[in-house]
Amino acid sequence: MNDQEIIDLINTTLADEFELNIDDMVPGAVLKDDLGLDSLDRVDMVIVLEKAFNFKIREEEAIREIYTLSDIHNFVINKKRELQ
Amino acid sequence: MNAGTFVAACVMNIVAYPAIIAWTLAGILFFPFGFPLWKVLTGWEGDRIMRHFVWIYGRGWLGIMLPFVRFRREGFTNSRIDSPSILVINHLSFFDTYCMALLPVSNIAFTIRSWPFKMPWYAPFMRLANYLDLEAIGWEGTFKAGSRILSKDGSLLFFPEGHRSKDGQIQRFYSGPFKLAIETGAPIVPLCITGTDRLLPPNRWWFLPSKVCLRALAPVSPKEFTGETAHVDLRKHVKNLMTKNLEEMRSKG
Repeated sequence: MNDQEIIDLINTTLADEFELNIDDMVPGAVLKDDLGLDSLDRVDMVIVLEKAFNFKIREEEAIREIYTLSDIHNFVINKKRELQ
Repeated sequence: MNAGTFVAACVMNIVAYPAIIAWTLAGILFFPFGFPLWKVLTGWEGDRIMRHFVWIYGRGWLGIMLPFVRFRREGFTNSRIDSPSILVINHLSFFDTYCMALLPVSNIAFTIRSWPFKMPWYAPFMRLANYLDLEAIGWEGTFKAGSRILSKDGSLLFFPEGHRSKDGQIQRFYSGPFKLAIETGAPIVPLCITGTDRLLPPNRWWFLPSKVCLRALAPVSPKEFTGETAHVDLRKHVKNLMTKNLEEMRSKG
């Protein structure tokens, strides 16, 4: 899976899970202000990403530093590389 | 808008707004005497009494609107709003909350955003009724306070969309009420409302005569949903039920 495929999977997974408009899924979108994801959604987001990419990330400190969609893209891309 | 509707709307606005203000003032003046009297007569706790008073206030509002708004209830029997329950309803208008006086029970705490708590003529009564200010206390605080209300045989009402819909279509649902249902085991009672978006939608201040329908769906037990995404599955299931019912209600007019 290349980086673009990872980004596409993240976007479609989150859009489907949180009923978001795929057109709003731009890299600079702030999770809280632009996508309307609240604190509970952030917990659910970790679960759906774990399922989509078959890894465990809920204990990672870096998760708390995620504010934008591009932060998620970068985090998952780095995590996938780390596991390869 | 045809001439008949225009005249009816003019009369409605000239009559209804002053009547609502007068009814609100009457309620405020009645409260210092009615509240202790009710407590002596019933022995109820303060929040329970206040919720009942809010329900009576809402019944008065229904009476004021009755010449201009045709209210209809569907799917209601007392047994369908088992207390304690978590009621979830779609959100179209500021006056959706007033329409909750159509419910056959009064012991319901509303969970809402912060801005209604900034209306000084309502805020003290909302606090006395233990309404939950979601933005102020967050989900963790809402779960704690909500669990306490449910354990004391009260019900909770949520607008899972968070905001009024600007186009009348159902919006994205937040997971909070469904997570609370999974944690407490309280059933979700989906409510569907139509017509209040014609009565008073967001960004309009004047009323239009309308037909308002409030439909209660069968309670959904959270026990049928398991696993770490149980609340998400419950949310999707309930939203699906509500979407289908709202489509049917709108098609019937």
